[in-house]
Amino acid sequence: MFSVKPLKPTFKSYLPPLQTDLKKSPQLTIRKLEAKLLPGEIVVNEANFVRKCIGADSSQDDLWGKLICTNFKVSFITHNSLPQQNFKYVHRLLGEHDVPLACVEQVVTVNDVKGKQKVLGSNKKLKFNPTELILYCKDLRILRFRFDQAGPESAKKVCLAIAHYSQPADPQLLFGFEYVSSRYYGSSGERVNGVDPGGGQQTPLFDRPSDWDREIKRTGASEWRVCSVNEGYTISPSLPEYFVVPASLADQDLKQYACSFTGQRIPLWCWNHPNGSALVRMSSISDPQQQRKLDQRICSAITKSHPQRCDVFKSDLDKQLPNIQEVQAALVKLRQICVIEPFEESEEKWLSSLESSRWMDYVRAFLRHAVEVVYTLEGKHTSVILLEEEDRDLSCVVAGLVQLMLDPHCRSLLGFQALVQKEWVMAGHRFLDRCNHLKRNEERRKEESPLFLLFLDCVWQLLNQYPSAFEFTETYLTVLSDSMWIPIFSTFLFNCPKQRAEHSRDFARSRSIRLGQDQALRFPAVWDWSQQFSPKDQTLFNNPLYVGKGATCVQNGAVKTFKRTKKSYSSTLRGLPPALRNGQLSDLDTLPRRNSLVLRLRPELGQAREPCETPCERFVRERFSRPADPQGMLLPQLLPSHLSLWRLYFLRWVPEARIPHGGPATAFHKLSLLVDEIHTLQSRLRHYNTSNSTPTPTGPPPPAPSLALSPPPNPPQRPHSLSRPQPEQQQQQQQQQQQQHHGRMYFRTSSSAPAGTPSTPDYLSSSFPFSPEGNLCRRGLLGTPLSKLLSGARIWLSTETLANEAL
Amino acid sequence: MEKSGSVDSLGSKQSSSRQPSVDSLSSSSTTSRSDRSSQAKPPSAVSSDSVSVSDLPLSPEQLRANIRNKPVPKVIRDSHKDEPQMLTKETVQDMAKDVTYICPFIGALRGTLTVTNYRLFFRCMDRDAALVLDIPLGVLSRVEKIGAATSRGEVSYGIVCKDIRNLRFVHKQPDDTLKKSIFENLMKFAFPVSNGQPLFACEYDQVFPENGWKVYDALAEYKRQGLPNESWRISKVNDHYELCDTYPSTLVVPVTIPDEELKRVAAFRAKGRISVLSWIHPESQATITRCSQPMVGANGKCSKEDEKLLQAIMDANAQSHKLFIFDARPSVNAAANKMKGGGFESEDAYQNAELVFLDIQNLHVMRESLRKLKEVVYPNIDEAHWLSNLESTHWLEHIKAVLAGALRIADKVESGKTSVVVHCSDGWDRTPQLTSLAMLMLDAHYRTIRGFQVLLEKEWLSFGHRFQLRIGHGDKNHTDADRSPVFLQFIDCVWQMTRQFPAAFEFNEYFLITILDHLYSCLFGTFMCNSEQQRLKEELPKKTVSLWSLINSQLEEFCNPLYVNYSSHVLFPVVSMRHLELWVGYYIRWNPRMRPQEPLHQRYKELLAKRAELQKRVEELQREVANRAAASSSERAGSPTRSITPVQTFV
Repeated sequence: MFSVKPLKPTFKSYLPPLQTDLKKSPQLTIRKLEAKLLPGEIVVNEANFVRKCIGADSSQDDLWGKLICTNFKVSFITHNSLPQQNFKYVHRLLGEHDVPLACVEQVVTVNDVKGKQKVLGSNKKLKFNPTELILYCKDLRILRFRFDQAGPESAKKVCLAIAHYSQPADPQLLFGFEYVSSRYYGSSGERVNGVDPGGGQQTPLFDRPSDWDREIKRTGASEWRVCSVNEGYTISPSLPEYFVVPASLADQDLKQYACSFTGQRIPLWCWNHPNGSALVRMSSISDPQQQRKLDQRICSAITKSHPQRCDVFKSDLDKQLPNIQEVQAALVKLRQICVIEPFEESEEKWLSSLESSRWMDYVRAFLRHAVEVVYTLEGKHTSVILLEEEDRDLSCVVAGLVQLMLDPHCRSLLGFQALVQKEWVMAGHRFLDRCNHLKRNEERRKEESPLFLLFLDCVWQLLNQYPSAFEFTETYLTVLSDSMWIPIFSTFLFNCPKQRAEHSRDFARSRSIRLGQDQALRFPAVWDWSQQFSPKDQTLFNNPLYVGKGATCVQNGAVKTFKRTKKSYSSTLRGLPPALRNGQLSDLDTLPRRNSLVLRLRPELGQAREPCETPCERFVRERFSRPADPQGMLLPQLLPSHLSLWRLYFLRWVPEARIPHGGPATAFHKLSLLVDEIHTLQSRLRHYNTSNSTPTPTGPPPPAPSLALSPPPNPPQRPHSLSRPQPEQQQQQQQQQQQQHHGRMYFRTSSSAPAGTPSTPDYLSSSFPFSPEGNLCRRGLLGTPLSKLLSGARIWLSTETLANEAL
Repeated sequence: MEKSGSVDSLGSKQSSSRQPSVDSLSSSSTTSRSDRSSQAKPPSAVSSDSVSVSDLPLSPEQLRANIRNKPVPKVIRDSHKDEPQMLTKETVQDMAKDVTYICPFIGALRGTLTVTNYRLFFRCMDRDAALVLDIPLGVLSRVEKIGAATSRGEVSYGIVCKDIRNLRFVHKQPDDTLKKSIFENLMKFAFPVSNGQPLFACEYDQVFPENGWKVYDALAEYKRQGLPNESWRISKVNDHYELCDTYPSTLVVPVTIPDEELKRVAAFRAKGRISVLSWIHPESQATITRCSQPMVGANGKCSKEDEKLLQAIMDANAQSHKLFIFDARPSVNAAANKMKGGGFESEDAYQNAELVFLDIQNLHVMRESLRKLKEVVYPNIDEAHWLSNLESTHWLEHIKAVLAGALRIADKVESGKTSVVVHCSDGWDRTPQLTSLAMLMLDAHYRTIRGFQVLLEKEWLSFGHRFQLRIGHGDKNHTDADRSPVFLQFIDCVWQMTRQFPAAFEFNEYFLITILDHLYSCLFGTFMCNSEQQRLKEELPKKTVSLWSLINSQLEEFCNPLYVNYSSHVLFPVVSMRHLELWVGYYIRWNPRMRPQEPLHQRYKELLAKRAELQKRVEELQREVANRAAASSSERAGSPTRSITPVQTFV
């Protein structure tokens, strides 16, 4: 609907809404409502006859059901279904109305008869019977439940349980421990179910030397070696057991150096540029006496590992980038304007509010910093050390972004997962602290920071500017960030590999789980997407526009690497409208060579105002004058006007911001159909080819339509794929694929529909595949904006629980 | 010294008449173009243009460029040339070497400046910086000398352009003081109207395979809408523009109102712009009608005839017993108009009508907003305060107001099945913005390339949006208060809609930018004059080329490959600051630190080509297999030839 002024909040709305809809009275639900539980999950408390609010303005669409608190989630079970919702991807761990406890940010209880509200913390008391429960979630949802018909005691109990269990005091109380021990280890403690920590695929976890070896080979970092001095975490508590160092440094030296670095963190190699310059991350040197000497040693070792023995450039991140508290404050403000403030009221000042949140500023600051590092590595052939006090936060973002810009491998799905594994998980980003999964106190709050979300936002900006350079979609990035709040995956549960090892060992001991050869409980990695989604839903991750690395070229059965030819470059240029070229440095033929000075100002023009352009800016500008190669270096546009808000992530729950039948999803749909058609055609061709090469004189050619369901011909080249399968295996594989594979594209051309007239599904919207239905009940909040509620509530609330919502 | 070369690969007769004059400084050529249509040739043959090039023979590139038939000049790749690729009838007027262009992004660049009767062309001579400026003179809004000559005898000129950029040049004062400098010449050719000269559009005579002047035929468009029908008739009352000189000759009015009464209504509506039909809903018969403000005045006059007309408009729609009057203005402004004789409909006089003010500011506010926007985006962006600066221009807020108004109209017609009347003061600025946007939301036909052309021809050109006054073609009076970016604002709104519905429009962003570029270029006659009557009087369809001729001759460049023809879909955009964006591809395109978006469309076209290739191959193989099956059944020893060509997979 269009912008009709919303009703001004009145105190009338404090009255309980009238029960007009008798049809929906709870007595009609006779069938028993039971929670669906995962292995290791138990029901803590539950309340019947609870109403889940759906619409913002009326209770008309509300659902009746049972609210359950388990040790994993807040679950709402109902026999009703949402109105007008004919699409939903199915989450394998969570029901339609469920929220994991780890996702709950704040629990607010309300008694609208007495006009009382209270923000519940862990182990808090509640002196009134709640008529309403509002859950503010870390993924920006706001859920609302009403207890008008529920038993007052059970309502109160379930609220207190949610508040208590959403803030466990100890990491081992996080549900992942119960889940893993119940699911993968039998009652007698032996392993029963295989868990593939690599995610069923080949995402390298970098927890063993071979993963690092392959990375060294892949990037051609011949002067670097895998070092195992930290085996058993004997040197540094926050480093992984294996990492990469300059070949010229001996283990003995490293052990000696380690104690001078903050956290005993020996500098870590991240990546090598094809020109030999390396990206290294390093914590600060805590011992001032050692500083100069040690600094020199490290630098000279890195220089020695450079084929041209180039100097090293040090980039101090702490000085140039916002700190983690600033990033956290930015998200709090951004959340405030995106989902908490009433939609219409925040319209007028939307842009300046967005600016004052500084989130976009920070996104830009990290991207710009990464571009500067890219310039040093690529333009100046110089190795770069990323310096950060602890080397566990800002470095993760910058190291990740630099590799995404320079290394097309990191833009494939597996490559990206490996990158996160390498620069975040193994490098010891404190996911446990930054996500703030545990009981919140002042100290812990200071540690909370959405750095990983910021990184994903930066990746989204790159994806938005270069839509065909990434194998994955923005849905993938969104789902990945949501996975942070499902406390099951090794990826986001711990502060560092050592912590994971210790906790899981302790837990195993306390439960008498026999770990056998494993040194720790095997938590699944988030990369095993089959934990969460069906193969069909996982295809939402596949970007139909992706131009794969060295897209394979099947030539009479032989696989060759296909390179983008010059021709395709020039066609891209031709695609550039002349009007856009006009006035720009755009002549390909006369492009300056790298590093040549564009400007040789005549002396007599010295007085003319000369805009100063840094070498890095010039580097970027020169690159921009050429057509972009999705498989080459990607440089983001850094003008603030060219960065946008990541709408899918921040606005997906906002009903007023949802564009029905519109948004990027409609383009995704159209593109997916086309690419699917191509896949189908390719598989048909392959079929004809094979039937040609292996003549089967007796059988007639199979009917063509049945081929529409055959597997895609070329699963994207997995970097570490196994050796070529034997013929028998191949047959088996094909059968398997035929069973499992539903095509790589989420949307498929149905063989019955006439070609060329694809009908667009009605459920497509700018929120796709998410839906605001019942996920953002902001305005129904007693008709009072949250800020007012909180400032009123402050008087009789403990300040602790409010600190996060303070403006 | 100039030498003219005429190329005529197919031996067309045209070359004789196309000989460019060697020194056409005093050119006032008014070549008759009555034989144009007879010269029209099929696309493949339109390769003969005469090109005048000084001192240089024609290069093969130019020949090829001509064959591709691109009237919009392309940057010449050959670094030896200082001159643009010329259009037909384009002649060099002046040329100066050693001119310095002070680029606000890279600094001073020295090069050669050429002024033709159509464009300003600057080519940087620095080997490293291959910068080219190629600007139609129509884009220039203002050319001024800045300050006095320096001690070195250099003078500085500032040029303000209509397309959101400014240019600054420095060059040596000619030693011979009697000789005019190139900038004095520039001023002469940039503002031909002020100098009593014709616009270049009247000289340009490129022949295109399609004649864009034939794109819009009012009767055909009304027929498409199912008109006339039992409630609406086509009236010839304005055939000679006697009823209203700013309206088109073809009007659609309720059958119950005879022409005589329309004349009396005209007396009550400003400028005689009575309520006539713009669009009719194919199912509900709810209509969008447009008019100007009623001449209520301070004394609250009313007109029985006008009331009757509006009643008839309401009665023509059986679905609803209400009529909505959307006044685009803020209510304060509408009330203030009473003092000037205008005003708004009183709900007492118009029974069953409901009046709604849409709060869209007037053209002066919009002009000021764009001026502020230009300050914010050009040349450099204040990175720390970008969003708040953008907010302070109110540009997006105005865009929002226009879109929100159109959305309310579309919603009333579609969901409420109610007819609406739309007006502002004169009904030629905000009114076409609203009606055409609402029609774009309601009718998928207008979202096609040709449909959009019809929409512009109908709601903007034929209904008298005063393009000449609002843009000021060839007029040096840059402070004219009648100038305003009303049309730009409309195109911006369309762009916002294409962003929200990436698959709903047949055209792409380049199409919209091309329209805006030629809004100013004065190369085509499309946007010249203020009304249909003037255009007819000036014989523009005879004397000038239509922009649609160019566009419809190379449609593939303007196509959105993602287009899905949802014929029955009504688009309701979300009119919220959360979704409105500054159109950086237009307003910030001159900044070299921006790169045009990676052409997603290019990638899509690659995929389309791939599919076509594969389809072809599958068909071939199917045929082959079928043949083989047939052959093997007759003779079992048949050995089919293998003809499998390589398959490349991109995905």
